[in-house]
Amino acid sequence: MTKPVELPQGTLEMLVLKAISLGPLHGYGILLRIQEISGERLEILQGSFYTAIYRLERRGWIKGKWGESENNRRARFYSLTASGTRQLKAETDRWTDMTAVVGGILDKKAHEI
Amino acid sequence: MSLLAAVRKLWHSVAPRTKSDVEEEFCSILDAYEGDLIRQGLSEEEARRKARIDLGRPSAQSEIYRDAIGLRVFDELGGDIRYGLRALRRNPGFGAVAVLSLALGIGATTAMFSLIYAVLLHPFPYADADRIMNPHFVKTQRPDVFQWFSLSEAQLDDLRLAAPVESVLGFSNGNLEITNDGLPEDISGVYLTENAETFFGVHPLFGRMIEPFDAGHPVVVLNYRFWQRRFDGDPHVIGRTLEMDHAQYTIVGVMPRSFAFNDIAGVGDVYLPASLMRAVANGPAPSYLPWIKLRPHVTVAAANAALEPIVREIMKIHSVASLAWHLGLQPIIVPYQQNLGRTLALLLAGVVLLLIIGCTNCSILLLARGRARQHELAIRTAIGASRWRIVRQLLVEALVISCTGAVLGVAASYWLARFPLLLSPDSFPAESVIRINASVLAFSVALALFCGILFGLAPALRLSRNDPARALPGRQAGSVAVPARHRWSVLIAAQVALTLLLIATAGTAIRGFLRLTQMPLGYDPANVMQIGISLHVQNPDEWSRIESREARAAYIEQIRQKIASVPHVSTVAVGIGATPPDADVQSSFIIDGSGDGEQPQARAMLVDQHYFATLRIRLLQGRVWNADENSRGDFIAVVNHAFSTRYLSSSPAVGRQLRIPGLTAHMRYQVVSAQSTAWREIIGVVGDARDDGVDQPVRPAIYIPYTAATRAWVQFLVRTEVDPLTCLHSIRAAIASVASDQQISNSVSAFNGTFTLSEAIERDAQYSRQRLFSILFGLFSAMALGLALVGIFSLVAYSVAQRTTEFGVRLALGAPRAHVLWIAAGTALVSAAAGIVIGLALDSFLGAVLAHWMQSPFAARSLFAAAALLAFSALLACLLPARRAIAIPPAEALRYE
Repeated sequence: MTKPVELPQGTLEMLVLKAISLGPLHGYGILLRIQEISGERLEILQGSFYTAIYRLERRGWIKGKWGESENNRRARFYSLTASGTRQLKAETDRWTDMTAVVGGILDKKAHEI
Repeated sequence: MSLLAAVRKLWHSVAPRTKSDVEEEFCSILDAYEGDLIRQGLSEEEARRKARIDLGRPSAQSEIYRDAIGLRVFDELGGDIRYGLRALRRNPGFGAVAVLSLALGIGATTAMFSLIYAVLLHPFPYADADRIMNPHFVKTQRPDVFQWFSLSEAQLDDLRLAAPVESVLGFSNGNLEITNDGLPEDISGVYLTENAETFFGVHPLFGRMIEPFDAGHPVVVLNYRFWQRRFDGDPHVIGRTLEMDHAQYTIVGVMPRSFAFNDIAGVGDVYLPASLMRAVANGPAPSYLPWIKLRPHVTVAAANAALEPIVREIMKIHSVASLAWHLGLQPIIVPYQQNLGRTLALLLAGVVLLLIIGCTNCSILLLARGRARQHELAIRTAIGASRWRIVRQLLVEALVISCTGAVLGVAASYWLARFPLLLSPDSFPAESVIRINASVLAFSVALALFCGILFGLAPALRLSRNDPARALPGRQAGSVAVPARHRWSVLIAAQVALTLLLIATAGTAIRGFLRLTQMPLGYDPANVMQIGISLHVQNPDEWSRIESREARAAYIEQIRQKIASVPHVSTVAVGIGATPPDADVQSSFIIDGSGDGEQPQARAMLVDQHYFATLRIRLLQGRVWNADENSRGDFIAVVNHAFSTRYLSSSPAVGRQLRIPGLTAHMRYQVVSAQSTAWREIIGVVGDARDDGVDQPVRPAIYIPYTAATRAWVQFLVRTEVDPLTCLHSIRAAIASVASDQQISNSVSAFNGTFTLSEAIERDAQYSRQRLFSILFGLFSAMALGLALVGIFSLVAYSVAQRTTEFGVRLALGAPRAHVLWIAAGTALVSAAAGIVIGLALDSFLGAVLAHWMQSPFAARSLFAAAALLAFSALLACLLPARRAIAIPPAEALRYE
């Protein structure tokens, strides 16, 4: 198993949006999907996970709805709203730009300057 | 129901998910995780345990949710508020004193604000009241005397055409008598031009106001108070008829309580279309006093300039044309602002002082209590509370106190605001209705928040700066002298200084009032009553009997004699507008031998020969006229002392001649004697009786027989041996025996009412203002004194309680009692003394300003009396609780720990 990665501030919300964008999920499902996609490398603190979900819903980016889970239990399913889709795109672009810039700087070798 | 739904909707937008919803979701996640763990091979019990360890408790989830959506601040504030309320309940003595200190201040300030709002900001119910002007002449010679003028209907129309004028209302007052049922009642009617509805823009309570199509129709609109009195507030009164002066009028409307048109000529009981006046008039064409509503954005100066030529044209035929004058439009609010602005400003200053003293008191109490709470706050700091968190909690507690105080204060202000009106009813506009409205509530809420922060901030900052390492080691902290004492000292000194200022002001007010009551009036008002009657001009049969001068004089004399024959009545006099302390308007006169250019002024008093004896005005020289001369009315006059010293100082007054050119029949229903404007010989000089208000110098006066110029109304001055009001019933009967439907005027505020002369003095503007000041400032200063003493008392009591051990040890070690007493009370005493010194300095600085505003000299003696009183009470307030310090048995004090 590879080394776990700690998330920078604020990125958890982006990951939750991404997870939900792949299809409506309940809370536990989101948690599982993130860990699954990341190859179990992300250790998500429970407290901040719920805070992220509640905040996203409060801002209107995701929408919760009670339904039946795969094993016939009642669960709250979250789906992306239109503004959530826009937000995910904006966040993704921002992240890509930022990593490109920061990565570019970090990749510089002495002879390149 | 819709309100409930709205609240629910609002709450839903703040917190969209309920607690159970959040918990249920969490449980579903917990279950799913638990299922995974079981599938991984854990036992059910272990899985359950691990799931809860990893994910947390369901019950805590709601808190995480509320924190996430930003509701935590509210939760914490709610907690602070609950804690504050609990702290108040736990310490009821402290709570009661703090809340009451503020309730007094906030209540009084709110009351004063609502009074100012009602009287100066929004006194009139009329639409665009700020554009309504009361036009008058300003004479160049006497710019301080305003003279109204009346206009005919055609002249009103001329004014309406002027560019700056939006509309013009004409009104005229008249007396009417209700004739249909048992009790005839004399009421006051106001005839309004038929544009009244649009001019006033006041929505009637029932029915409608007078409208243009009412012209010529016998309709009547009722005043609210008249409707209450006569019809018991019956809402079905519209459409019924009211018989007045033997004519039927249809009631078409009832005006709201706030509509009491008008303060100038007398509030009407009923309002009638002006066109009805033409029908009843049998003299010159009816004339109206005008009110002019200007167009928006027209300045008063521009309107004056534009209207003056028109008024000049109109007035060409009028006597005023000969004198130099210019037109003055006065906004209808101005007389009240002039009369009441200062009064209210002073009272507001008084209540604000009271409020500051109350706030200071709360600060002192919070600081004193804070010492007891240092331990608690130190623990909170030690377990991680930030300074901001503690400041916030202390501020919230202060706000809890101030808001509780504000609730009580606003409730009390409802009654407090009526107090000045009860004390001085005639100084305030009849139409101002005092109520707690949105602006007043907003004001008091702002005031409460402001006060809470004002008095809470200093203690909060002080107490939150708290070093847990020093405070925590134990309650021994209490035995160490605590710093921050100087802050209390400043507060106490400030409180004492302000209290002294209030007491000195009260002293000034009370002395001014006493001076006023002891001032010689020149006449004796005790047991004298004015009874006004209106002659029946509207009843043609009766009027024809008494229309001539002789018949009218005989009729009046007959009534006078009947009243004089009532038991306990000693003398009765007749006067027309000659009742002190305010008497009729000025007239110009001419003295023999004086130049033509001079136009000396004096009050022309129309009275009979009994007037001087009835009012006990002394005769200084010569004689008073006899009955024959009285019925003739001409060729004689009596003047007062002020007249003879001002105009006739060079030679003896008696024997000189004067004449009054203005004594002509220029008013409706007025009849004059054959030679009313001819030369009159001065046959006597009488003493000065105050005729221009109780505090003003006596104006020169000429007394002439009332038969020289009688009007449609007359007053009898009745001196009785007992309380005059007890004779009123038999006097009514005596009048009725002359003419069965002759009623006396009941109105109290109108010129021609029935009242005792003592009442008249109480209604005098200066008298009632001074009385208002002395009572209210007396109250304010008593409250302030109480607050300051409570502040000092509780401070000393707290510090004694805190330092019980220290005092016990000191006494046990043999400290002299006086020394211990000094330690306990010294700081408070010194601060109080400093406060008195500062207060004295402040007073001598402000004294001149105050005296000018109160219109009475500032009394230095009352200042020192106040300082002595304050010093004595402060000493008591210090020593009473400090005595406990030396009464502590040392053994018990040590056991305290």
